[in-house]
Amino acid sequence: MYPQIFSAAKDVDRAFLIILGFSVFILVVVTIAMLWFLWRYNVKRSPVAADIRGNFWAEVIWTVLPTIIVLGLFWTGWSSFKAMRTIPDGAMEVLVEGRMWSWKFTYANGKTSQELYAPVDTPLRLKLSSRDVIHSFYVPAMRVKWDLVPGMDTEVWIQSDTVGEYDIFCAEYCGLKHADMITLLKVLPAEDFQAWLDGSAETEGDEILRGLALMEEYGCFDCHTMDGTDDVAPPLNGIAGKERLIILPDGAKRTIKADSHYIKTSIMDPGAELVDGWDDEMPPYEGDLSDEDANVIVNYLLGKDESGKPFKALEHPGLHFAKVEGCLKCHTTDGTTTGRAPSFKGLYGSTITVRKDNKEKMLTADEEYIRQSIKHSTKWVAEGYVDSMPPYDDLNEETIEGLISFIKSLGGKD
Amino acid sequence: MSDTVMDKGFFAPKGGSKIMEWLFTTDHKRIGMLYLWAILIFFSVGVCLGLALRLELFAPGPTIMTQQAFNAIFTLHGVVMIFLVVIPSIPAAFGNIFLPLQLGAEDVAFPRLNMFSFWLYIVGGGIALTSLFTAGGAPDTGWTFYVPFSSISTTNVSVAVLGVFVLGFSSILTGLNFIVTIHRMRAEGMTWLRMPLFPWALYATAWIQVLATPILSITVLLIAIERLLGMGIFDPARGGDPLLYQHLFWIYSHPAVYIMILPAMGVISDIIPVFCRKPIFGYKTIIGSSLAIAFAGSLVWAHHMFVSGMSDTAVMVFSFLTFIVAVPSAVKVFNWLSTMYKGSIRPEPPLIFALGFIFLFAMGGITGLVLGSAGTDMHVHDTYFVVGHFHFVIFGGTGMGLFASMHYWFPKIYGRMYNKRIATWSAIIIIAGINGLYFPMYLLGLAGMPRRYYDYLPQYTDLHQLSTYGSWITAMGLVLMFWNLWHGRKHGRVVGKNPWGAATLEWTLPSPPPTHNFDEDPIVTHGPYHYDGLIPEEDAVNESEGDK
Repeated sequence: MYPQIFSAAKDVDRAFLIILGFSVFILVVVTIAMLWFLWRYNVKRSPVAADIRGNFWAEVIWTVLPTIIVLGLFWTGWSSFKAMRTIPDGAMEVLVEGRMWSWKFTYANGKTSQELYAPVDTPLRLKLSSRDVIHSFYVPAMRVKWDLVPGMDTEVWIQSDTVGEYDIFCAEYCGLKHADMITLLKVLPAEDFQAWLDGSAETEGDEILRGLALMEEYGCFDCHTMDGTDDVAPPLNGIAGKERLIILPDGAKRTIKADSHYIKTSIMDPGAELVDGWDDEMPPYEGDLSDEDANVIVNYLLGKDESGKPFKALEHPGLHFAKVEGCLKCHTTDGTTTGRAPSFKGLYGSTITVRKDNKEKMLTADEEYIRQSIKHSTKWVAEGYVDSMPPYDDLNEETIEGLISFIKSLGGKD
Repeated sequence: MSDTVMDKGFFAPKGGSKIMEWLFTTDHKRIGMLYLWAILIFFSVGVCLGLALRLELFAPGPTIMTQQAFNAIFTLHGVVMIFLVVIPSIPAAFGNIFLPLQLGAEDVAFPRLNMFSFWLYIVGGGIALTSLFTAGGAPDTGWTFYVPFSSISTTNVSVAVLGVFVLGFSSILTGLNFIVTIHRMRAEGMTWLRMPLFPWALYATAWIQVLATPILSITVLLIAIERLLGMGIFDPARGGDPLLYQHLFWIYSHPAVYIMILPAMGVISDIIPVFCRKPIFGYKTIIGSSLAIAFAGSLVWAHHMFVSGMSDTAVMVFSFLTFIVAVPSAVKVFNWLSTMYKGSIRPEPPLIFALGFIFLFAMGGITGLVLGSAGTDMHVHDTYFVVGHFHFVIFGGTGMGLFASMHYWFPKIYGRMYNKRIATWSAIIIIAGINGLYFPMYLLGLAGMPRRYYDYLPQYTDLHQLSTYGSWITAMGLVLMFWNLWHGRKHGRVVGKNPWGAATLEWTLPSPPPTHNFDEDPIVTHGPYHYDGLIPEEDAVNESEGDK
């Protein structure tokens, strides 16, 4: 059978074996008897039928015996269920939130994730809630499934005896992208889990933010893009480790790897190592930009923190919130539309038509509009879309700020 | 093949407009035929939708349709198959035609109400189909219409549930009509214990229809009120309770499963003795088990809700009752088998379909134990295991029961015989196809594949492909079977009154039966499985064909 990593589910698997074993036995007996009778009592071999109208004792036996057996099967199933439902005291609590069509897991220290991280051999009490419609939390490898019902608190527990990654599905049909509402259960050794739990995304996020803010402040994005397209200067995303053909001031050409030294030189004295094919138009930032700030930008572009440890992902910290809160299931970041919600790309600062209380209204998508739309989604619905987003009025200020800043970073038809 | 001029019986035109005399007929046989044709047309629609779903699932990722289309198509497949095909299938078509004939009556108790039921069925079906093409597009909620999703879906749910509401009344009125007919219209000497098992099964079914269907009507009405008037009956944001909806829905929809299966069991109980030339084993036990299923089956609805968040005590009670309801079904299977024991078996096509019913119903029934057991249900609930389970029971059970009825009563309705060899082969192909189609679903479910998924992870690909191959075999079997029957209607060999040598009253009438049924009111002097002196006319035919 399918691998199984939950000690309490051992009884369930045993119940499977007992019930399926009994069932297959009955099926085989019935089928063989049927085929045997069909052959043995064919009119060719049995021209005259016996006159049997019933047999009291036979019927008593095949009523009473199955009754006793099914009661036994009932008990097997029920006791295995009971074990799955009895949550051990002191189990670690994790909040599980479902919404169309993603998951959010919140741990005791407030850390959130889209994938469920769990330490091995530790019981977890999962407190289930739904923001919109009914979902169902399902881990096949645990034999665990429980519904997330809006307006109702449900809970279930899991405990893995094996390190590894396992599928988590939504098992209750929840609309368009029901099939996409899948994620992973990542079971880690206890110390790795603790390290993950303590490793604060915030400090990392702060550095990314600082790098971004500095680049904005110094106008880097006036000429460079971060999405791979050429502006008046080469794009900067994914620059770390790239091979570059550069022209030295003496006209000699050389191929080098974009490392921290190269990037820093290019900021401080761009003419010194000019990328082939681009004009020497960028002003040197030597003296303008402090050495410390330059390092922050270099680190940001290289995707590393100060100690040289790589960031988990070179992304806007608000993107993390957008993923965890499930925004990106309906909103895109590339200007295309899913048909269910407007894209974040180019949203900020644009003029849009919204409906409020059935009245149409034009407005500029400013910070306040974005904030209100997140918190009270039903109030201002953009033209062409239906009011299907649940209100997120319980998000903390940090998350909302992060989201707004992320949307701003994608926006700006100015 | 003979072209002898046959008496057309109830098919004979009455003069006047042919369409009008059929559409406004009060003859139970004609109404039954109208139902049969309508059901078969809806059935082919449902089959095509099912094949499209299987094709989409042939490979992970988008294959032939969009996600929204997939969601709408599985919803439609469920609604069409359940409300337009399976629930009316045997009772409305064959029950209408043969209940009065088997009782020795001239018609049902309320012929005009009967016609009205048919019209409600057509109007309800029409409304349900209208929801596809009007504002908002085809509903995408699944046939279960679970709230709160069905309250917020922007598709045309309100119109679809209105269709279901109207269809419910058709079902209630048909049930009422049958109950009164069975109580009041039996021929002289037709005591309760001389009634064939098919009317008995219809009787048990009719009570469920009358008692349980109103709850469905109330429930869909509440959905409509919630959607249209914005009242928070089920919506937690407005103080409602989503679990209340699930309870109300399953209080009808679980007994509805027995509305679907009991008539098929009745047909099988009638067919097996005929072809074994032996009275049914344990006549009273089968009646008792039908009534027990109807009663106990009304008390198990919440086994659809073990992981819904209802209390663990409720889980225990409903799991217990579910296991209890397994017993009468098992008893029936043992009685059918015992009927074959020491019989003189003619392996004619209706019997092959009936045995196919027993095998496929058992395949589906035993996995019901896995689903009824709380611990194991937690794993396989809402996975492909469930999809496999109810398709085995409903398609393998009720579907095969319907096909068995069609092959059993075909010579009575048309006075001709289809090609029996092709019929037997089509039965075997369909049985093989159903196994190929649904058995992989059990394995998928055990491996954790959730149902109603447009896309799936790569580890499930092989089993999904097997299942899709099975769907093609099933479709080929169905085409062969329907073609054979279609051809046999006009070109089959002409047969006499009682080709199978059956002992129930419909076989004493000419084929097709005349409009007024019995020339003289029959007087019943023996039970329905009394074969003394009845020799199947087909025996001689089989013998001469065997000589060739």
